[in-house]
Amino acid sequence: MDSIEIGLWVTGGLFVMVVLGMRVAFAAGLAGLVGLVWFFWDRRDYDPEMLGWAISVAVKTAGQVPHGKVASQALSLIPTFILIGFLAYYAGLTRALFEAAKRWIAWVPGGLAVSTVFATAGFAAVSGASVATAAVFARIAIPEMLKIGYDKRFAAGVVAAGGTLASLIPPSAILVIYAIIVEQDVGQLLLAGFIPGVFSAFVYGVLIVVMALSIKGFGPPVGGFTWRERFVSLPPALPIVAVVVIIICFVYNPFGGDAWGTPTEGGAIGAFIVFLMALWRGMRLPELRDALVETAKLSIMIFSIIWGVLIYVRFLGFADLPSAFADWITSLTYPPLLILVCILLAYAVLGMFMDAIGMLLLTLPVVYPAVMALNGGELVAAEDSAFGMSGPMCAVWFGILAVKMAEFCLITPPIGLNCFVVAGVRPELSVQDVFRGVTPFFIADAVTIGLLVTFPAIVLWLPSLA
Amino acid sequence: MAGAASVLGDGSLLSRLDRGLVRIEWGMALLSGVFAFGLMILAVISVGGRSAFNQPLPGYVDWIQAFMPLIAIFGISYVQREGGHIRMDIVVGRLKGRWLWAAEIITTFGILLLMVALVWGSWAHFGRSFDFGAPNWSRDSSMDLGLPIWPAKLVVPVAFAVMCLRLVLQLWGYGRAFVLGLERPVAVPLVQSAAEVAAAEAEQVRGHD
Amino acid sequence: TDWNVSLWGKQRAFTEHVHKLAELVEEKSGGEFTMNISYGGLSKNTENLDGISIGAFEMAQFCAGYHPDKNRAITVLELPFLGVSTLDEEVAVSHAVYEHPAVAEEMAQWNAKLLMTSPMPQYNLVGTGEPRDELSEFDGMRVRATGGLGEAFRAVGAVPTSMTASEVYQAMESGVIDTAAFAQHAHLSFGTINEADWWTANLNPGTVNCPVVANIDAYESLSDEHRAILDESIPEAIDHYLANYGALLERWDGVLDEKGVEKVMVPEEELAEFKSVAGDPIHEAWIEEMSAQGLPAQELYDLVYETLDQTRASN
Ligand code: NA
Ligand code: NA
Repeated sequence: MDSIEIGLWVTGGLFVMVVLGMRVAFAAGLAGLVGLVWFFWDRRDYDPEMLGWAISVAVKTAGQVPHGKVASQALSLIPTFILIGFLAYYAGLTRALFEAAKRWIAWVPGGLAVSTVFATAGFAAVSGASVATAAVFARIAIPEMLKIGYDKRFAAGVVAAGGTLASLIPPSAILVIYAIIVEQDVGQLLLAGFIPGVFSAFVYGVLIVVMALSIKGFGPPVGGFTWRERFVSLPPALPIVAVVVIIICFVYNPFGGDAWGTPTEGGAIGAFIVFLMALWRGMRLPELRDALVETAKLSIMIFSIIWGVLIYVRFLGFADLPSAFADWITSLTYPPLLILVCILLAYAVLGMFMDAIGMLLLTLPVVYPAVMALNGGELVAAEDSAFGMSGPMCAVWFGILAVKMAEFCLITPPIGLNCFVVAGVRPELSVQDVFRGVTPFFIADAVTIGLLVTFPAIVLWLPSLA
Repeated sequence: MAGAASVLGDGSLLSRLDRGLVRIEWGMALLSGVFAFGLMILAVISVGGRSAFNQPLPGYVDWIQAFMPLIAIFGISYVQREGGHIRMDIVVGRLKGRWLWAAEIITTFGILLLMVALVWGSWAHFGRSFDFGAPNWSRDSSMDLGLPIWPAKLVVPVAFAVMCLRLVLQLWGYGRAFVLGLERPVAVPLVQSAAEVAAAEAEQVRGHD
Repeated sequence: TDWNVSLWGKQRAFTEHVHKLAELVEEKSGGEFTMNISYGGLSKNTENLDGISIGAFEMAQFCAGYHPDKNRAITVLELPFLGVSTLDEEVAVSHAVYEHPAVAEEMAQWNAKLLMTSPMPQYNLVGTGEPRDELSEFDGMRVRATGGLGEAFRAVGAVPTSMTASEVYQAMESGVIDTAAFAQHAHLSFGTINEADWWTANLNPGTVNCPVVANIDAYESLSDEHRAILDESIPEAIDHYLANYGALLERWDGVLDEKGVEKVMVPEEELAEFKSVAGDPIHEAWIEEMSAQGLPAQELYDLVYETLDQTRASN
């Protein structure tokens, strides 16, 4: 049998296992292992005497992957970014951010909702995970919005949508994972996420202001804070600024001169600052122990998917499936931009049913080479390319688009994890309420994605400086 | 997709084994977390040493590579015990009773198959880096410091072997539920509704905002 | 017969001989013996030797410095200041060492047969800031250099820092390292030359050794005809590599001018001092350590110099 055919059968089998509810990490690993056995046995023409050999080679090949792929300096960013997020709870940073945002910007129409969006954007700078961000702000922001007369569904929608910002604004675990899978510079991708993340927050903000101006009885602005009150709200939120500045400076120094180090180091220094802050706020050994176990659980969950999927990817490498798919995509006669939009739409559909990280990890090994080929190859120059950008820049641009799609899926029914979490935190809200409330933000996200596709400079300006 | 789940207990042998194993697993997960913390400390020492004394931590990268398997893999069985590895529950979420337990048995058995194979494969990987006759028993060492790599490679089969034990217990638990037609069996992670998942998530952040 | 070949990175001067070999065997066997070259799809670069030992693929390239413990014997070729000065000498010396029984025996433990080397010119430094042309200026210098080269720089007070080649540019840009030691093609393909202010033209501290190996079972199960085709194609593949690399070296001075990189000549007495501090003691330590582990270290070491003399005499 043709190795491409084996690749397709195994990939089909993988999706069946995933749908049947096998844990994604292990479904991918098992598919890869079975695929390798099949591939090696096929190379010996299914000689029954060689089955044992095929199994042994496949098992040993797969057995290299967990240690080999995980023992990497670049991937060490993931536990670090997760640790920052857990420590940030204990450092009281969320409450401080929300207070500061309220005092400074709640005077605009729809002010408290706009404040919530910007406070989530700020928290995104110390949190690598969307769901945790949504859970925290559901507890802080929703009661305040309800108190001054916001529609409860809308208040919930603001928090669910705001939570998604955590994965674009660095630090972001999912951007690191993308960088590893496609073998691109992690620093560039983290930089690239910054402006689209802030941009998304502004699009949300504008949407809220427009709704506040056009809908009667929308939540009123909240004013009356003195300048003194405003300024005293800043110091408790300052560590966030410090962490953002440090991580950015470690990747690319905006003040001119050399960057301060590698992203790995930047993330760790950021975590250390938040740790000191948490100590100062009264975190003690039992809390630290809990934070460490939670960090381990989330890291291991993500790493299991990484090595599981990489076993499958190793098999794909032997079966040569990604290049076959890329050849097929480039042989299509439709305009490249249309094909790209179709790929993004496919992500929207897939994301309705899948978790963001699982979805990206499972699809990127095949989709990414196809998108790169569509643009003209890994090494294409901007002027010869289909999308008007060089190969490495296309990798960055597509990464941000894919991650934004994955985040979009966190608020779409039927499986929108952020909405579930918000509904779970607030007993007065059902999941349907939250989905209803978040609907306006679909429009905002669709607009954002449209703009990112049309004006790649929003994504590429910052990394092109570095 | 759901992660969190709850595990029930009673006085049965299965449940006692479950609770005995989970203590080991929890310790392994804590060690993963401690090494994640250590990673942060390493970076602080390295950056601090470099900027203050022009003396970076020698072999910083070697140490990171040695830590990572502990962080990323060692506690894997604890995550499985807690039902923390993500999956799509669009189908299993709708199954009830014996149908549900049958589905769990099939997928858990698949994982066990993979894990047994990986214990073998990762042990072989370890074996190629280990040599009783060589200095430090090492046949593979890191690039800067020449640290032996075999201890980091050994982490993988050890973690996966514990995972195999966990999977056997879970198969036992699901099998028992299937045979006896139980509603809420012990020692296995129970599928939670979206509301329960979210409540657990909310519980986690309570008091820390 | 179809062989899977595991390389890494992308096609470059360093992998030209493998492509040429694939082309030659396919042509000479009338398409019956093909090689399917994969860049990183089959294995991680530091695990290529493991993959050969497992039998996952039939041919692979690796560098001795990635895992000196796996291939102790050939690390003699990575000793600093061996005095090899051309690519032809590098080929002659490498192949002489590859044919030594102790080397073949060590590789056989990995089920690997050494086919050919990937000759690399001397690794010279590119650096940022003021040129460093005196030994005293190496003190505290953060340099990306692995294996024996790293040892040599350590001996004069520098701080060797390892990272994968693809991280070197970022590390240099961010000031994590001041200098990086690479062959010319790698300074080009990893972009370090774009960040550099100067390049040492004559430091010539040593190089790395990266053989191409075949799985022994696969090699032996080739038909006699195919095995002969493979064997006889190797010199041709190496010639092609040398011609290609030679052209690259000829362009090098132009590249330096274009990028505004200063060509630094280290004074002779500084070089002699470097060699006496970092060369000879490391050579002696290597011989002692490897002999203690049961390798015919002195014999391998002498073989290098005998071959070097012979090669020079025959030219
Ligand atoms: Na973030
Ligand atoms: Na969704």
